[in-house]
Amino acid sequence: MAYTTFSKIANDAMKEPMFFGNPVNVARYDQQKFEVFEKLIEKQLSFFWRPEEIDVSRDRIDFMNLPDHEQHIFISNLKYQTLLDSIQGRSPNVAFLPIVSLPELETWIETWSFSETIHSRSYTHILRNLFTDPSEVFEDIVTNEEIQKRASDIAGYYDTLIHAVQFMQLHGLDQQAVDYINLEGQKETLSLRSIKKKLYLCICSVNALEAIRFYVSFACSFAFAERDLLEGNAKIIKLIARDEALHLTSTQQILNLWADGRDDPEMAEIALECFSEGRDIFLKAAEQEKEWAQYLFKDGSMIGLNEAILCQYVEYITNQRMQAIGYEAPFDIKTNPIPWINHWLVSDNVQVAPQEAEISSYLVGQINSKVDSDELSSFEL
Amino acid sequence: MSKNTSKTLTVDGIEYPLDTQKTVLENLESQAIKVEFHCRDGHCGACRCALLSGDVNYRSYPLAYVRKNDILTCCSQASSDIKIATY
Repeated sequence: MAYTTFSKIANDAMKEPMFFGNPVNVARYDQQKFEVFEKLIEKQLSFFWRPEEIDVSRDRIDFMNLPDHEQHIFISNLKYQTLLDSIQGRSPNVAFLPIVSLPELETWIETWSFSETIHSRSYTHILRNLFTDPSEVFEDIVTNEEIQKRASDIAGYYDTLIHAVQFMQLHGLDQQAVDYINLEGQKETLSLRSIKKKLYLCICSVNALEAIRFYVSFACSFAFAERDLLEGNAKIIKLIARDEALHLTSTQQILNLWADGRDDPEMAEIALECFSEGRDIFLKAAEQEKEWAQYLFKDGSMIGLNEAILCQYVEYITNQRMQAIGYEAPFDIKTNPIPWINHWLVSDNVQVAPQEAEISSYLVGQINSKVDSDELSSFEL
Repeated sequence: MSKNTSKTLTVDGIEYPLDTQKTVLENLESQAIKVEFHCRDGHCGACRCALLSGDVNYRSYPLAYVRKNDILTCCSQASSDIKIATY
């Protein structure tokens, strides 16, 4: 089952499953098995923005005036988000493109990953403005223990899937001549079903990532902006949050399509088989995010947000996200402990019109500052 | 503005007047019913409710996964009586 960039098999893409069918050949969108992915692409493209459009120059003053423990909260969140988007900017492409079988889904994955690279670039935009040399912040991402704990969990499911798929595409699945040695160095018997299971768990983990992991940082950024601090950053985070909600929708769609038996029947079986493992991925992500909240507030909380409220928010949002993919709500909390966040998450409120003042590129050359009084000499009353 | 209030919207067993010009979410809000929402654009799925009876039309394509008997209140409108239950 080697990968081919243009399969000559005259297949009917309408009859292919989402993954592990024939590789996509003609990128055609006149007929679609799952129209929703095309709609997601259109929506994502309509959301397009560039970090440079947002003026973050005032943030530096705000940042300098923050007490140390609030600077720690702000910078740690940026580091964590940089890590998440570094992973998301490449992994969906590497992991899912070699196995995808629907043209609209293939294009969605590319569009999705591309938008994550915009997020990564926007973190550099923010940090470059705050520090003369942001290297220290970036370099800490690979050494910071708190971030590493999460990184290995998120990357793990991707790596396991990628490794197994690469073996399958290189050696096939008979494993007569070559044994499959997994990432733990153990011999493992691979079958198409076991790889599909790895895919299912990987999508679950990506879903949990987009559903919960981002939101602790989002809440902190918006809490600063509620105090009129670091507003440029909050504007960028607002755009990122809007994109992430869309990405989350796509993984929820995939999981639900599988579970409802509307795609590959074997994936419907796997969805049942991995039901509890999928739940554990979610609960573990929620647990890790609560630990993260603890780390953020280790030296003190910020006005409007503390560890307890943030943990409640993690529980609240975990309930919401798990119900969206057919799980029972695991936590008791029923109402949003930080209802003001909704105001930041409303998609309609995001204004990207060029007449907005913060789009600096639009303002360049708009004001002629060299006006000589002689130029007014011919004016008469 | 012609307000059509002869229709009813039943939420968790309590009847309210239904404005057919507004989305279901806007109806809920105008009756001061606290419900979930995030994007108000049909892609986050936070406003999902169960539809017990009646029918809704979508103003825009609902991007979030809508299960059978579920509706997204932020982008749907009802033209006749509906009964819904919040999650």
